[in-house]
Amino acid sequence: MNVIFGTVLISAVALLLFFNPDGALAAMLSGGEKALSLTLKMAVIYAVWLGIFSLAEKTGLTEKTAKVLSPFNKLLFGKLPPPAEKYVSLNLSANLLGMSGATTPMGIKAVEELDKFGGTAYATAMFFVINATSVQLIPSSVLALRTQVGATNPSDIILPTILATLVSSVVGILLVKIFVKGKA
Amino acid sequence: MSSYIIPFLFLTILMYSAIKKVKPYDAFTEGAKSALPFAANIFPYLVSIFVLTELFEASGISDFLTQILSPVFGFLGIPKELCKLVMIKPFSGSGSLAMLSEIFSEYGADSYLARCACVIYGSSETVFYIAAVYFANVKNKKLLLPIIISLFASFCSCVFACFICKIM
Repeated sequence: MNVIFGTVLISAVALLLFFNPDGALAAMLSGGEKALSLTLKMAVIYAVWLGIFSLAEKTGLTEKTAKVLSPFNKLLFGKLPPPAEKYVSLNLSANLLGMSGATTPMGIKAVEELDKFGGTAYATAMFFVINATSVQLIPSSVLALRTQVGATNPSDIILPTILATLVSSVVGILLVKIFVKGKA
Repeated sequence: MSSYIIPFLFLTILMYSAIKKVKPYDAFTEGAKSALPFAANIFPYLVSIFVLTELFEASGISDFLTQILSPVFGFLGIPKELCKLVMIKPFSGSGSLAMLSEIFSEYGADSYLARCACVIYGSSETVFYIAAVYFANVKNKKLLLPIIISLFASFCSCVFACFICKIM
């Protein structure tokens, strides 16, 4: 992350210095503003989802979800410590169902638990790549937008999208299996 | 169809917790309590990512890269009108959504370009945003290799999207 951040920042600020010196600070501040408004939005979304999630947790529903997905998890991640496995399962099921509000808090918790466990570079990388390549079954935001602008058949992109998502996930998973060492 | 999933899920959880005699008010507030610290924790990482994105755009680097890469993209079957979307998607979800609606109004929602853009938008994620947020609370941020893998995999799906939209 440091490499990417450093490279982009240095080259962008250098370019702006020559071509548009007023633009540098303006761009950075506008980025900060967007980040703040997104943070506030996220806080609200988290509050609702974490509230519901805490109910599910108290009833033991979350452990059940983890148990259902367990064979699938073993195949992808190897052996996971139980708390990490729970959050990984919840994140993946939220991803599949397209509940983008729930994926982030579960994802953060999953990465935390994976990190605590230590020696899970492989599992963490796999988890990140699966999330970053998208495993959504129904692209709901795109569908809504297409309906809004009056496409004749808004849902005609569902199958191509699922196939394309599958391509990115499979490529990502294979590359992690090849290049990241240390499966537990 | 997908709009039924969330209320159905909530109802299931609420009814199940009623059967299990969990105190709903106490449990809900307990969970919601952690939301603000959670959001506060990710704030600095979001700022960094958004500053990165804004500078990437404002400095003209993204336009420059788009120009350089568009012959390469063209060779792989990605139309030049969509190069910018492919470039911005890993950085910014809202930015690429705006680009998507631009493509809609310019070429029509049923055009090849618009359908292709939809598939590209729907089949990949905001890689840098996920990297920043998911790893906010973790010290070990060795993400270079996973980021490269994700970007490459997303790019493969973009190429595939442009191909599949021609035949479907």
